[in-house]
Amino acid sequence: MTTTALDMLSASTPKWRRWLRHHGWTVGVWILFLVLIFWYSALIPKFGLFQVASIVNNGSPFVFLAIGQAVIVIAGGIDLGVGGMLVLANVTAARLMEGQSFEMTLLTAVAILIAAAAINGSVGWIINVSKVPDIVITLGSLFVFQGMALAVLPNPGGATSEGFRWIFTGSKVGIGSNPWPAIVMIVVPVLIMAWWMSKTRSGLSLYAMGSDRNAAYLSGIRAARTKIISYAVGGAFAAFAGLATTAIAGRGNANTVGGNLTLNAVAAIVLGGVALTGGVGTVIAVVPAGLTLFFLSPILTAMGVDPSRGQIIQGVLIVVVMMIAGLIEWRRQRTS
Amino acid sequence: MTETSTTLLATRGIAKRFGSVIALQSVDLRVKPGEIHALLGANGAGKSTLVKILSGVFPADAGSIAVNGEPAQLRRPGDSMAAGIATVFQDPALIPHLTLAQNLRISRLDEEEVRPWLDRMDLGGIDFGMLVSDVPLAMLRLLDLARALARDPQLLMLDEITAALTTDQARYVFDVMREWKSRGRSVLFISHRLGEVLEMCDYATILRNGTAVADFDLTNVGEAQLVTAMLGDELGEKAVAAPQPAELAPAPPAFEASPVVLEARNVYLRDRVNGVSFSLRKGEILGLSALEGQGQDELFQVLSGDHRPSSGELLVNNVRLNARSPYDAIRQGVVLVPADRHQALLPQRSVRENLATPLYNRISRWFSLAGDEAERVDRAVDRLDIDVRAASQVQRLSGGNQQKVTIGRWLASGFDTLLCFDPTRGIDIQTKAQIYDLLRELAHEGASIVLYTSELREIPLVCDRVLVMYNGRIVHEQAAATATEEMLLSAAHGLEEASL
Repeated sequence: MTTTALDMLSASTPKWRRWLRHHGWTVGVWILFLVLIFWYSALIPKFGLFQVASIVNNGSPFVFLAIGQAVIVIAGGIDLGVGGMLVLANVTAARLMEGQSFEMTLLTAVAILIAAAAINGSVGWIINVSKVPDIVITLGSLFVFQGMALAVLPNPGGATSEGFRWIFTGSKVGIGSNPWPAIVMIVVPVLIMAWWMSKTRSGLSLYAMGSDRNAAYLSGIRAARTKIISYAVGGAFAAFAGLATTAIAGRGNANTVGGNLTLNAVAAIVLGGVALTGGVGTVIAVVPAGLTLFFLSPILTAMGVDPSRGQIIQGVLIVVVMMIAGLIEWRRQRTS
Repeated sequence: MTETSTTLLATRGIAKRFGSVIALQSVDLRVKPGEIHALLGANGAGKSTLVKILSGVFPADAGSIAVNGEPAQLRRPGDSMAAGIATVFQDPALIPHLTLAQNLRISRLDEEEVRPWLDRMDLGGIDFGMLVSDVPLAMLRLLDLARALARDPQLLMLDEITAALTTDQARYVFDVMREWKSRGRSVLFISHRLGEVLEMCDYATILRNGTAVADFDLTNVGEAQLVTAMLGDELGEKAVAAPQPAELAPAPPAFEASPVVLEARNVYLRDRVNGVSFSLRKGEILGLSALEGQGQDELFQVLSGDHRPSSGELLVNNVRLNARSPYDAIRQGVVLVPADRHQALLPQRSVRENLATPLYNRISRWFSLAGDEAERVDRAVDRLDIDVRAASQVQRLSGGNQQKVTIGRWLASGFDTLLCFDPTRGIDIQTKAQIYDLLRELAHEGASIVLYTSELREIPLVCDRVLVMYNGRIVHEQAAATATEEMLLSAAHGLEEASL
């Protein structure tokens, strides 16, 4: 009987176990991150707010970029151009904000975010219309954005207001012992994104499209619109990362290699449990994953490891984590 | 006309083609209010294509649709829902990585709208926080149904919903259908189970080769009449298509002395293959017939070494086959011609290169095929009668010639047992006949062949013996020469299950 089948279903898996399986990755990455923090605090002679601020401040662009990439990948795409968008937003902000009042820099920042959403949204539109794979179109947009950045600011320079630097760093000079503004700047957008993507129809459409395009279509979801939204939001987050970079560095630098930033963002979302095939993952897990990857190099420095070896360890970490996750999933499928 | 006013749904001349394949030629369908209307037809007759057009999944190429006498443009699923049509598709339309609640939100529905229907199906206690991927298939079908019912449609379309349900679960579906009828609303019902069609439905429209060929009032019609209408009179086509069976089919007793080359002993795979046993003798062509989704795909995956059986065993030449991948099966001489040619071929490479692909396994010299092997490829090309001039890229060949290449790959490398999964689907009649000839010739030379085909009339033409699969089990076995299409189709619908 169906009733008994239903009873068995609920009885055999207690709610907390289902919750843990549903959110296991998120919990795991947060634990990994906290363990690394504790380890780091034991490694170095003095661990205080200055160190926390340094990690959160400098890691924040990385986290924003990874969130942008996560939104796009969850919706079934992939955007190699996010790194280019970060650089473009960074130099545009630095150039336009130089010598401006705090209010004007804020207004400029909002304008840059809107423009980035529009530009990257049209990249999504082009992918839709042309049917050329995402990875090809966005390889193109990466070069275009990088080139535009060089045109905007050929040599490193520009500036921003002290207030704007404080928003992202808790300090008028971009370095200090106050991590709270940066924490707020990470937590608030992440919570908004997490709510949007798990509670609203437009946000859930991203998962539906990335998970099963056909079923999504049959549920009445508009494929084109969803793709454009994912690219627009992803582009805005990439630009947000660029603004944070401007605030932290106090200037713009078009020589930053956007492609490397993109690959770092991809590494962060993979570690954060976002499936590159789409439809799986959450931005809540991307935050500790991004910070963990960013955080590895200071840890290794504290351990006395040659920084150039850090990349090897970062690569190995990603592969090992993915293998462990694969093993857990394989065992789960075998037992069920 | 007075008749239009009493018609809920009317289609006229609906046609649809996908590339070179004509899925629907011309379908006229009328569904009246308060009617349970069955849509029947063999595999590939166009039932699901019609349902998808009526659901707005894709538009028809030609023809018109009217709902309540008004012309309707169904361009998107939303248009169809707005017109009062709700569909439960053949495959669950739920997103696996989201919870049930999230899936409802995507469909613009509240839990409260769906819950009364779930209560009626004794699923009221279901936890909407569950991931869809954790919910068993049968329950997903009922959830899909509840989701469709929550839209309170004028016309409810059910495409093979009962296929994944047990008898007592199907009862919930029938209750809903009766209620819809009593409310003066309509149901379009697709099922391969003729018993439930006769029990539940008032009218039936029969599709054959993409055309609506007959309408029945089901109050005074038997299963036999429906089966005959689904098959139709294809005698004219048969005469053109096929070599004469008498010339080719050898006398069945000849095999009893031949050694068994492939044997399946009580093979299970998940819940899809449920205890299949058979043996195949040298030089024999064993036909396999089944409706779609009866476990034949999974059985072929096991036979070809793609999947290990959950239990049971396979013996090749009386030695247990413990294949970890198709590579192991191929080494034992068991090779597969898959349904999808694109799985087997390298579309941008030449015919010769494609024929040689399986040979790469044995090349010790890396850079070229040695004389002996090049010769095998030459012989295979000759034998298949493929125009090699047009063959610098396999993708330029016609579907039929591509299919010949997929078989030819194994000719060059050699094999004992050939597994053919629906090798003539979507292929022109002449090439079909050539493939029949080729298979018969191969068997004559001592190869053993398992042939699954969705075309029933191929079985007496090509095979020596036939097995019918239903619900993951072999339900029927007989000499192919004496098998009629009616017998096979009845068995494939599970109608003779009791007599076995």
